[in-house]
Amino acid sequence: MSLDYVKFSNGFEKFMPKEYRDMVEHGPFGKKVTVSQMGNFKEVLEEHPMCAGCAMTLFIRLAMIAFPNPEDTITVGTAGCGRLAISQAAIPFVYGNYGDQNGVASGLSRGLRLRFGDKPKDVVVMAGDGGTADIGFQQVLHSWFRKERFTTIMLDNEVYGNTGGQESGMTNRGAVLKMAPLGKKFEKMDMLQMAKVAGCAYVATVVPNNPRRVESVIKKAVLIAREVGSTYIQAYTSCNIEYAIPTDKVMEDAKAVENDRYQFTEYVSEEAKQYLTERYGYKEFLAKPAAPAAAIPGKA
Amino acid sequence: MYLVADISVEICAAKSCKLCTQYCPEANTIQYSDELGKDKGFKYGSAYVAVDRCKGCAQCVWVCDNMAKNYAIKMIMIDQLPKAALTENITYGEKSTTAVLASPAAG
Repeated sequence: MSLDYVKFSNGFEKFMPKEYRDMVEHGPFGKKVTVSQMGNFKEVLEEHPMCAGCAMTLFIRLAMIAFPNPEDTITVGTAGCGRLAISQAAIPFVYGNYGDQNGVASGLSRGLRLRFGDKPKDVVVMAGDGGTADIGFQQVLHSWFRKERFTTIMLDNEVYGNTGGQESGMTNRGAVLKMAPLGKKFEKMDMLQMAKVAGCAYVATVVPNNPRRVESVIKKAVLIAREVGSTYIQAYTSCNIEYAIPTDKVMEDAKAVENDRYQFTEYVSEEAKQYLTERYGYKEFLAKPAAPAAAIPGKA
Repeated sequence: MYLVADISVEICAAKSCKLCTQYCPEANTIQYSDELGKDKGFKYGSAYVAVDRCKGCAQCVWVCDNMAKNYAIKMIMIDQLPKAALTENITYGEKSTTAVLASPAAG
């Protein structure tokens, strides 16, 4: 795992497809790329079979750009739509059995630390709401309680979209789906609160209708997971098939859901704030200087 | 035949907001070229679509119309496009890309 794995083997350059050559020469490896540069460099995510207009695809695309060191990152996933795109990127991908992605990531993260010592190697789990909150719930929660140092991202489309529309723990109460015709009878699981209780150092919610925020949140989560502890991002990534959202209205839906139940929230532990500030120069957590007395109304 | 996104260089090069690129679910599909539009005297470059990658979702149209308010993107049947960018004709540079536009039918 290093920049070497994306280089051409001697003598093979001329036989490599154009997409591969572009990725090696003009991809994000070894550089700092940002959302504002999108469209000007070769992205690591290649063609994939995700549905047209899928918000999850957009989120995964943004996530790949946000990784601080893509050449030193391994993604871990499980069954679900997301893995169809995540596995098509030029970033090593480990496919866990259904629900064991956080167990796999725990071992992987520990193994990389043994093998590479202090050199950061990032492990990022990206799994759906079913893989994270239902079938993988036990392993997810235990990895958090153990403070395993990797990032867990839930691609929350609020349904089992890959298997025909069954309700998941993250489906909203009352939602009627193809395989839940009477409507869900229980509340959406509060995974954010559970992540905080389990001791995650960073917990955030995002919606992909704000690409810069997605970038910022993922960067922070990955950096914090290098040393401080578990980090968790819950992203609303609608399923336009199972929720019958016209593809050109996906961002309109994202905005509506953001206003309804997916407002941006961010919890950063004090230790993580200090780490980001001291290690990576983040200024947003510095104590704000007190306003001068003259600026306070009534105190002039 | 199927629909693909088509970006008006005249409108895009005058605004250059780049929002469509940031909201397209497909990677390496809506690209940006600093050169496109310069020959027509525009200050900025323009976005363009690699039509062999476009899945026709029209999310970029919504973003351009409702967020950027530029109304620069239309969905158009691919056989109605006289010239378009294809992945094999895109060249990546240090800071931007360039595309040789060709008939999508020939591609």
